[in-house]
Amino acid sequence: MKHFVTSKFRYILYLVLVAPLLLFIAYAFSTRWFFPQPFPIEWTMETFQHVFHDSQTIPSLAQGLWIASLVGLLSLILALPAARVLGLRKFRGRQLVWLLFFLPTIIPPLSVGMGLNILFLRVGLAGTIAGVVLAHIIPTLPYTIFTLSSAYARFDENYEFQALALGASPWHIFLNVTLRMMTPSLVVAALFAFLISWSQYLLTLLIGGGQVITLPILLFSAASGGNPSVIATLSLLFIAPPVLVIAVTARQLNQHGNQIREQY
Amino acid sequence: MRDKPIFSPWLSLAPALTIVILLLGASLLYAIAESVGYISAIGQHEISLSAYRETLNLNSEFWTSLIFSLWISVASTIISAAVALTLAVWLSERSRNSDTFALNWNLAFPHLVWSVAILLFLSQSGLLARWAATLGIIQMPADFPVLVRDRFGIGIILSYLGKEIPFLTITILSVLRSQSIGFDVVAENLGANRWQRVRYVTIPQVLPALLAGSLIVFGFIFSSYEVPALLGVGYPRALPVLALRFFLDPDLRARSEGMVISLIITLIVTVVAVISLKIGERKEKDEG
Amino acid sequence: MKRIVFLFVTFALLLAACAPSAATVIQPAVATDQPATTASTLAAGEFDINNWESVLTSARGQTVNWYIWGGSDTINAFVDNFYGKALKEKYDITLNRVPVADTVDAVNQVLSEKQAGKDPGAVDLIWINGENFFTLKQADLLYKDWAQKIPNAKLVNWDNPAIKLDFGHPVDNQESPWSSAQFQFIYDSARTNADELPHSYADLKTWACEHPGRFTYVDPTGSGGFLGARFIKGALYELSGGAEQWLNFDQSLWDKNSPALGSYLNDLKLCLWRNGETYPKDESELVNLFANNEVDFSMTNDITGAGRWINDGRMPATARAFVFNQYMIGDFNYVAIPLNAPNKAAALVLANLLLEPELQAAQILPENGFGLGYAIDVTRVTDSAALSALQSAATKLGDSATPASDLAKSLVGDSAAEYQTLVEQGWSKFVLQK
Repeated sequence: MKHFVTSKFRYILYLVLVAPLLLFIAYAFSTRWFFPQPFPIEWTMETFQHVFHDSQTIPSLAQGLWIASLVGLLSLILALPAARVLGLRKFRGRQLVWLLFFLPTIIPPLSVGMGLNILFLRVGLAGTIAGVVLAHIIPTLPYTIFTLSSAYARFDENYEFQALALGASPWHIFLNVTLRMMTPSLVVAALFAFLISWSQYLLTLLIGGGQVITLPILLFSAASGGNPSVIATLSLLFIAPPVLVIAVTARQLNQHGNQIREQY
Repeated sequence: MRDKPIFSPWLSLAPALTIVILLLGASLLYAIAESVGYISAIGQHEISLSAYRETLNLNSEFWTSLIFSLWISVASTIISAAVALTLAVWLSERSRNSDTFALNWNLAFPHLVWSVAILLFLSQSGLLARWAATLGIIQMPADFPVLVRDRFGIGIILSYLGKEIPFLTITILSVLRSQSIGFDVVAENLGANRWQRVRYVTIPQVLPALLAGSLIVFGFIFSSYEVPALLGVGYPRALPVLALRFFLDPDLRARSEGMVISLIITLIVTVVAVISLKIGERKEKDEG
Repeated sequence: MKRIVFLFVTFALLLAACAPSAATVIQPAVATDQPATTASTLAAGEFDINNWESVLTSARGQTVNWYIWGGSDTINAFVDNFYGKALKEKYDITLNRVPVADTVDAVNQVLSEKQAGKDPGAVDLIWINGENFFTLKQADLLYKDWAQKIPNAKLVNWDNPAIKLDFGHPVDNQESPWSSAQFQFIYDSARTNADELPHSYADLKTWACEHPGRFTYVDPTGSGGFLGARFIKGALYELSGGAEQWLNFDQSLWDKNSPALGSYLNDLKLCLWRNGETYPKDESELVNLFANNEVDFSMTNDITGAGRWINDGRMPATARAFVFNQYMIGDFNYVAIPLNAPNKAAALVLANLLLEPELQAAQILPENGFGLGYAIDVTRVTDSAALSALQSAATKLGDSATPASDLAKSLVGDSAAEYQTLVEQGWSKFVLQK
């Protein structure tokens, strides 16, 4: 009996966690669903097609994917050398560096975005994809650095020395030994940089200035009082990449996920 | 670890550090400059503290917003922490891999999407109200309690709970799992009952992590814009909503006030983060 | 030693982080003094507004960036499907519809470009009227002397004061009309009897307090605030006993009448949905409340009344539009071209296309999703096919629209643009925050 109760409780917990998905599906594929009908009566694909034919949807989807991919890649490139040093070396000022990298996780995107808005307007980065990518790197960089540095801390440099002794070139070693051993962490770090960028609303709004449109921008403007079916459809599109990523990286997440969860 | 590095660590750190220092530094500088009325966009170059006076004036909307923001952040944090603690203790006794996956699943729903779900589900004519009406519990949408876009920010708090409870639960669970179960068994052997074990063994173990995590949550909620903007009412508004409203005002002179509020938010969040770091440090020391 | 060197490098970086910002703080003062018209001197692709052929030639291959309020998916779809396609097929112009949450965002874009000395800018055409037009015109940021020179301007009755004046301010050839609108209410004939409907603001207050919580209006300060402001101005007209006096700005007139308006709205507030502690921010949100039986009335500017919403599945088919006996504000809305628009020729072609009789006929049909009325004067259309299309479209509005005679009887013009700010600020301070 006790087992029955606890397993039931667990299923309620699971249900709460999948509920949003079911809710979005119900709203996205129905029409003329008004209070007090408990369930949709008229099911339709019309809204879905409608949203896809809207001239904004596909470009904003593509733009968001492109920005998030660039952010993921650039965060990795910037984070790798820094993370290696932080994970493997002891040097004076290390504490200070940690603190500096910690700062972007503290300072709210609101403040960063408002300040950068003016700077980027001056230098011509406002309203450009480059500007938005640069702004997105601020919140993603700490997380990629923390993830990779803890991976480097577990990394045994002797493999590199052995390869060096066997006559491999540094570039060869980096590609075939270092990167290969780091692959799981690299994947997790890049994917989460991708996700943080993908779901970024405020920085995109403040830097993109209405010219760089991504899904969160579309969703936000539809969300308060728009057509419920459109809102739900956009939500489904918005969570598709994260859901895929979570499903693929479920195992690695147990190790790293928590460092990244907030800000997202 | 080698003592003589091939090249200095600073060279490897330079690219990442440059980006962080340059962008954060510049944005802070601009924020301060504009907060004291130095808005070159409209050719206003004399420095004045009038925006600070205006903002901190006892009659200004700032104070209402500050209280509102503090209320939603404190309430969300405390409730999340309490529920997460209960849930984590409960789950840790009957651990399953699927739990972690289920909690991580929550990651797939950004705050914005979670707020949308709350909106569709809990508004006065939302799904829950429709079910209640079908069951005859309510007649009209107005009979359903106001949970979204309400004066007290209940919808905002509920939205944060949905995101922060899983976050804190995972934080606590990972502490509980990394600790050896030895203490628990010892306590049990010494005749401690279930409640005593939780009270004297589990809670002290997870408290530092829970406290640090809660402060992060507080800082995040206090400074975030999307949820209160979407689920809040026109008045009172959360501080970040007020700040952005001033910042985007067509009258560029209003920007100074936006910057003042944004700086105050940053200050408060930074103080909280420092406290959180200190707790984390003490915890590391204790663990030695 | 090495460490010290690198510390220096970091210091240098820190300094570098500050230096460019300090430098750029001073720069714009120079930039603003720069004349913004450098690009409009003769160059390749130059056109002469009096020679339409040269406009068409110059526009070929251009992309027109149209900043347009994006809060309605059906309007977005209409713009893409009708104008986007026609532009491409007839004129080889690509339409880039840039949706803005509030037209003031587009105005800000142009203003901040001016501050940054950015020419050419990003905006070619803005859907605009009233206060926003007034702001840009006053700042001297609009392309001038064109609206009556495009070929289809001959279909527009430029002698009509409602077209010549936009919120009391002369249009001065700086914007061209697109469509017309009139404020109306919507009710559900399955829920409310037609003979119980209120027909004046005084009636409305009585009705609202007999049905507490069943009425609300759009927040006049929100992103879709024009509708709410129009509701409030209608009340102001009725309370002050006339619409005409509000056409010119007069602070003392406002000071005299605003207390009565404030007390009307505050009395009404006690009987509103959610006791007036929150308001829907735009028409779409009010439509959701109305369709889900949270309130009994919605509001619209559409000539099609409830038609567009019924077609989109957002309202039950029993929804109907109605008007009060008087003071239902109607007006025209326009498109304007910023002075620093990068593709002026394409913008002119689009502004002209908006007035094509076929497209004007298409825009009032509920199933096309736009729902606003004609900007052209139907009697000036000579082409018989176009004329019959226009006339038949007007008869297809159906039950869900207000009868044309009711609309005409209650029609009044909007007040001077300056009152807009007073209404917004006054409402926010004396009604919302009270």
